[in-house]
Order: sequence, then C-alpha cells, then structure tokens
Amino acid sequence: MMQTSRLFLDFIPVIIWALLAMALVIIMLLASWVLRPHVLQNSEKTSTYECGEEPVGPARISYPYNYFVYTVLFVVIDVMGAFLWLLSSSTLLWANATKYEVVWQVVVFILIVMGGVGFVMKMIPRSFLDGKETLDVYRRAKAEREKEQYPTGGH
Amino acid sequence: MQGFDPALFEQIEFLLLAGIVLVLAYLALEHKEIVYAAFFFGFMASFVAGFFLLLEAPFIAGMQIAVYTGGISTLIIFAVLLLPRAQDSTLEKFATPRARQISLVIAVVVTVMTGFLAVLFPWAESFNEAFVSISQDLNGLAQWLWFENGIYVQMIALIMITSLVGAISLLRMDKAEQLGAITGEFGVEAKPVLIDDLQSAEDGQSVPEPKEVDE
Amino acid sequence: MVPLSWYLVLAFMLIGLGGYGMMVKRNLIRILIGAEIMGNGVMIAIVAIALFNPAFSFTGQGLIILVISVAAAHTALAMVLMLMYNRRYGSVDLGTSVEMEGQ
Repeated sequence: MMQTSRLFLDFIPVIIWALLAMALVIIMLLASWVLRPHVLQNSEKTSTYECGEEPVGPARISYPYNYFVYTVLFVVIDVMGAFLWLLSSSTLLWANATKYEVVWQVVVFILIVMGGVGFVMKMIPRSFLDGKETLDVYRRAKAEREKEQYPTGGH
Repeated sequence: MQGFDPALFEQIEFLLLAGIVLVLAYLALEHKEIVYAAFFFGFMASFVAGFFLLLEAPFIAGMQIAVYTGGISTLIIFAVLLLPRAQDSTLEKFATPRARQISLVIAVVVTVMTGFLAVLFPWAESFNEAFVSISQDLNGLAQWLWFENGIYVQMIALIMITSLVGAISLLRMDKAEQLGAITGEFGVEAKPVLIDDLQSAEDGQSVPEPKEVDE
Repeated sequence: MVPLSWYLVLAFMLIGLGGYGMMVKRNLIRILIGAEIMGNGVMIAIVAIALFNPAFSFTGQGLIILVISVAAAHTALAMVLMLMYNRRYGSVDLGTSVEMEGQ
C-alpha cells in the first residue's frame, strides 16, 4: 500500500476539539445542576414567563407557506455552489488544455440554474414573496382577537 | 510520537463514528417528537461526512455537510414547522406491534444476508488493500466531472430547475386555500387557551384518540 | 487500514435500519427520513468501493456528487408534495388518507 499522508490524521485536532466541546457541555450542565437551588416546582414556576406576559394559545402554530419558497431556492443555489466549489478547487480554468472547453460549460450551467431561479421569481406574484397578504391576514386576525381579549377574566 | 499506531487509531475512529451514526439514525427514526427526529437526522448526516474523510474523499465530505446538513435537513425541519399537526406527537399514528415485528424480521434478514455477501463472497477478495493508492486529487475529480463528463453537470442543472419550477408552481397553485390554512385550527385564529381555565379549554379542544391501523 | 467489509457491513446496517423505518412508519416525514438514511448507507458503500478499486476512484466520487444533487432536488419536491397532501387530507399520516378515500 502506498502510504501517503492520511486525511484523518490531519483531522485529529478536530476530534480533540469535538471531545473537549462535548466534555464542556456535560460539565456545565452538571455544574449548574449541582449549584442551583432545588426548590418546589409548580406550574407558575415552569411557565414561559413567570411574571408579566400571559402565555396565550399554542406555541406550535402554522407558519405561512410562502417562506418555504426561499428554502427551496436556497437548496438549488447550494447545489450550484457545491459544483462551482469543485471547479474552483481545481486548476481546470487555468490550464491551457482545458480552459477553453470548460468555461463554456460553466457559463451554460450558471445560465440554466440562474434562469430557472429568475423564472420562478417572475412566476410567483410579488405579494407571495414578501408575504404582504399573509401579514394582512395575520393583522386582521390579531385585531379581531384583541377586541375579545379578556372576557374570561385575565388580569 | 512513541507508541502511536495510525492503523489502530483508524479502527478506533471507525468504530466510534459507526456507533454514533447508528445511534443517531435510530433516534432519527424512533424519537417521539418529530422535530427532534429531524434534528437527529441532520446530526447523522454530518457524522457520515466523517466516514468520507476516513475514505479519503474530502470533497464528498464537504458536499455532504453543505447539501445534506445545510440543505436537506433544513428542508425537513422547515416542512415540520409548516405542519403543526405533525409536530403534535399525540396525534401521530403508529403501526401495530405485529407489523413492527414482521418489519424488524424482514429488515434483519435482509441486512444479515447482504452482510454475508459483503464478507464471504469471492469478489470481496478482489478488493484488496494492496490495490489502494491514496490520492486526494481534487483536480482529477474536477476533470472527471467538468471536462470528461460535462453533460452530467448540465443534466443536474436541468433536474434541479425542473424540480424547482414544479415545486414552486405546486406551492402557487392553491394560494387562496393557503391563506385560509393559516386561520385554521392551529393558526392565528385558534382558540386562545388561558392558563386559568385549562379545564374548559381541554373540554373544548379534546381530540379523538388515534385509531389503531389494522394490517 | 480498515478493511472494505467493515464499511460494507455498516452500509448494509444503515440500509436495513432505513428500510425498517420505511416499512413501519406511518408519518410521511419519517418515511422520507428513512429513505435518506438508506441513501446515506448506499453512498458510504459506493465511496468505500471507489477507494478500494483505483480504476473506479473518480467514477465513484463523481457518482456520489450527482447522487447528492439529485437527493437535494427530490427532497425539495417531496416536501412540497407533503404540504399538498397535508392540505388535502389534513394530516401527513398515511392511514388517514386511505380512510377518507373510502368514504
């Protein structure tokens, strides 16, 4: 076996760092458990805000769908960036033997992906992207709820 | 360094990583809360990158972290956030114990048989350590992908924008329904639950017990 | 050097675990997570074989790059389809849809 420098030997500091990080988290959790006062826990103690705000409604509500568009766009740009990262870590665009053929492929690749992204941004309406209609619905619902806010006796 | 054996260290590292990955994969499938399951999947994907470092594929490790941990687990976590009924672990349906046992037996049998294939069959001998030549040659990889097989890259770009346009047009198709969905049962108009009268709120919001799924 | 069979055994264990999850689970998100775990196992197997066979080295790694890209694309599409499923049937559990279709 031809023995050159193995890759994982270069990453030994990463492993040491990761072990140190895990040990630090465990030590901090244990120390705070040891040092904190152990008092009686009741529903007032374990609520989100012990004094002040009154928690209203479930914490897990439905987020608006239109922000999912940005996640899908991010994944496409992410994959495009990975391909260009491979290209930038090589010498293909500098070597004379390859640069004249590869550069056209790079241009076509970027044009296809960015053309798709631009088409999508044109295709969906503007209010879908910035979430104005969703915000309007939220504001109307919130205003309606505030009118009938404390009929059952809050504070 | 005295007494430092790289081969032994590599085996220890492999076993450590394998244990972590298997435990995280089990947790990603079996954790009760689906948000934690999605997070455990992200951790598992980033620990799999450690195997690619052991296998002398640095670019694959980087791409695994960039795309799997950065993109795919983000998609899964975001979709879980968009589905409030999926986050509620009491509403989730589980298979019957009999279906679980049958599936476990099938999975174990397939795993053991393919494991025997990996260890025993004669072609395993043809992959010998003597043939291994270690080279972390990113230049050769880029040449393979961009210069010799450049059409694959364009095909990947077409596949990406096809799925992108399909996904976005599906999202756009029912925009009116979507505006109704955020005012639904779990939306902003959901009945406010004050801490004081939890009892009446529980009476009002009682959900039917999830039925057992027959096999 | 860790022998090839260790990597293959680990890959087959991941594939079996993901297949078990895909067979047992009712939630579509968990089924997708099981599929991704199976995909990770396959990727480990292909990269291991690519390391132990020099003629296959660049082919294996380039194949994995294409596989990761297509995995990103199909996950994005699958997630949007799951949102549509949730809109239509009110849940992402597989059992409910069959019940509602029967009615």
